[in-house]
Amino acid sequence: MNRFQPELEKALARRRFIQAAGTGTAILALGSVYVLSDELTREAQAQTRSDGRPRLPPGQRVIQALRPMGGEPGDPSPGAYRLRVYGEVEAPFELSFAELLALPQIEQALDVHCVTTWSVLGAKFKGVRVADLAARAKLKKSARYVIFEAAHGYTSNISVRDALKPTVMVASQLNGAPLARAHGAPVRAIAPEFYFWKSAKWLTAIRFSDHDEPGYWETRGYNNHADPWREERYA
Amino acid sequence: MPDGMAEAKKPATERRRKLALRPWLRALHRDIGYFAVGLTIVYAISGLAVNHLKDWDPNFKQVNRTHQLALPVPSDDDAAAKSALKALGVREAPREVYRASDTQLDLVFDKRTFHVDTQSGVVHEEGQTARPVLRLANWLHLNRGKRAWTYIADFYAVFLLFLAISGLFMIPGKKGLLGRGAIVALLGAAVPIAYVVLSGGP
Repeated sequence: MNRFQPELEKALARRRFIQAAGTGTAILALGSVYVLSDELTREAQAQTRSDGRPRLPPGQRVIQALRPMGGEPGDPSPGAYRLRVYGEVEAPFELSFAELLALPQIEQALDVHCVTTWSVLGAKFKGVRVADLAARAKLKKSARYVIFEAAHGYTSNISVRDALKPTVMVASQLNGAPLARAHGAPVRAIAPEFYFWKSAKWLTAIRFSDHDEPGYWETRGYNNHADPWREERYA
Repeated sequence: MPDGMAEAKKPATERRRKLALRPWLRALHRDIGYFAVGLTIVYAISGLAVNHLKDWDPNFKQVNRTHQLALPVPSDDDAAAKSALKALGVREAPREVYRASDTQLDLVFDKRTFHVDTQSGVVHEEGQTARPVLRLANWLHLNRGKRAWTYIADFYAVFLLFLAISGLFMIPGKKGLLGRGAIVALLGAAVPIAYVVLSGGP
């Protein structure tokens, strides 16, 4: 048995070294990611928006890419896609994906803030402004709220005044690439001034309403207004 | 029997009658407990999963890959799709071949999409596959269907209330509600109260 002792000790020492090296590498890698992310957060905290508010809302931490955050996926097929614009409008209409892409497209770098505390800064979304769709539909004076309707009955709600701001859009591209399924392909809403659940993925319709209708998360304990700068996370 | 003796025995009889409720409570607690095991496991596992939504996607695994096709890519959509799928080793037929723009052809499958840049030959594959058990558990937990499950979840909540309340009265003596049980129950109730007080509440 003694004959094998040195080999055994060597093997054990090697195993301990590999384990220690692996652990050390993992700690270093995780630590670097953490430090880098915190650097992004600190930089964002030091910045101010043109409206005087801090670029990063309170309680948020900057990460580098959007996280999927779940949801019940809709049909990703661009060929079958239809966007319906209706409700308190004079001229309701429906668009195919190709017709939506044929409308004037804008690309804008926007900051988005998830209620779970992550933020992504400068995500480039390409699509059509909700204001342009509203102009085409000819809003009635009674239209006061916008209900984003999405696959499987998901809805979210914002006021018409907010929906007509130039940053609110229906997007089909993110960072130069077609929207991924996890992010709502083929089309999602983007309402960057609110927590990101308002930006409904797998968007199927924009309904203008004369009254407010709290949506999927708003009826499950989340705040109806959802302003990140006021930390309106929960009801 | 003399009156005095009957009076002396009365409290003991009442006590026995009161104690006779406990076996019923235990039997109900036991059977409802067994009945609730499945749902409790579903809600507990899903609760752990969705509680950490910001760290991972508890419903789907994401697929994101980039491939390069040999150039030139055929100009005809069907021919381009056929050639791309052959080069990528995909045998499954696409649900849809969609010309999204002059330079982009989308090959749509049930669980993934290949976005082919017909000019550069770069293919971006993206999609997601469901995590089999977790997705179902989360779907139930979040009550996405919002139909009959609402009533099942209500019944389950009532059962949990019964289990909690009946549990308080199941054990007699020092370890029951009149002894150690009360202290432990108060400690448990103090956790959410302390959290609300310390965090400032909603």
